[in-house]
Amino acid sequence: MCAFNFSIDLPVRSEWANVDLLRTSVQNCFTAIFSDIEGCHSLAMVTGELIENAIKYGDWTGPDEQRFHLRVWGEGRSAHVSVENPVQIGDGNAAEVLRTLGWMRSFPSSIEAYRAKLLEVAEADRASGNSKLGLVRIAYEGNCLLSAELVRGVLRVQAELTV
Amino acid sequence: MQSLIVGDLRIEALEEEPSAPVRLLWRGKSNNRHPGEALAPYFREVLATADTRRVPLELHFEKLEHFNSSTITSIIQLIQDSRARAVKLVLVYDHALKWQKLSFDALRVFAKDDMLELRAA
Repeated sequence: MCAFNFSIDLPVRSEWANVDLLRTSVQNCFTAIFSDIEGCHSLAMVTGELIENAIKYGDWTGPDEQRFHLRVWGEGRSAHVSVENPVQIGDGNAAEVLRTLGWMRSFPSSIEAYRAKLLEVAEADRASGNSKLGLVRIAYEGNCLLSAELVRGVLRVQAELTV
Repeated sequence: MQSLIVGDLRIEALEEEPSAPVRLLWRGKSNNRHPGEALAPYFREVLATADTRRVPLELHFEKLEHFNSSTITSIIQLIQDSRARAVKLVLVYDHALKWQKLSFDALRVFAKDDMLELRAA
C-alpha cells in the first residue's frame, strides 16, 4: 500500500441530482486508487447519505446561493467525510441529529443500534419520514465514527472510516 | 404484472406461471428522494397479486447497485404489509457483496416467523 493523502473540498448546489453525481464520483475516484472495492462502496454510501440529509433538512430559504459544503479527505487508509449545511435557529432537525448520535452511543455496538432503529422505523408513523435511519446506517454499514456540531447556524456532520 | 421504472431504478416483474412465486428483479440504483411515493403503490399491487394467487412474493436484489436508507424504510413497510396479508416474503441478496450482506443481515431482526425469508444467493 503506497502512502498518500487526498482532499476534496467543494461547495455544492443543493439539488437532489447532485447526491448521486457526488456519490458515484467518490466511488469511482477511490475505486481507481484502492483495491478494496467494498471499502470504496462504503465511503460512497456514507457520502451519499450525508448529502441526502443536508439537502433534505438544510435551510435553503436564504437569499444567498443555496449550497452545502462537502469535504472528503484522508491519509493512508483513514478517510473522513464532512458535510455542512445551513439550518434555521432552533431547527428541530439539527437537534434530532445530535440526539440521534447520543442515542447511538448508548448501544454497545453499531449493529445493535441499527437493529433498534429498524424496529423503531417499523413502528413509526409512515408519514413522518424523518427517522435518521441514514445516520445509523452510516455507522453500521460504513463501520465509522460519527460526530456533529452546530455552530452559528451551520450543522456539520462528520464521519471517520477506514477504507 | 407491470414492471416499475422510477429514476435510476428498474423493477422487472417476471412473467411466470400463476402457481410460481411473484418475482421482482431490482436493477440499477434506488436513489430517489421519496422512493416510497412510487414503491408503496407498486408494492400494494404486487402484494394483492401474490395474495390472490396464494404464492410468495420474491424480491431479488442481486443486481441492484445501491439503495438509500429511504428505500430501506419502504422495504420495512413491505415486510409489515406482507405479514399483515399473510403473504410470504422472500428477500434474495448477493452475500458476496458486502453492502448487501450487511443490509439484509440486519433485516433478519424482522424474521421472527416463516413469513419472511432472507435468502443469500
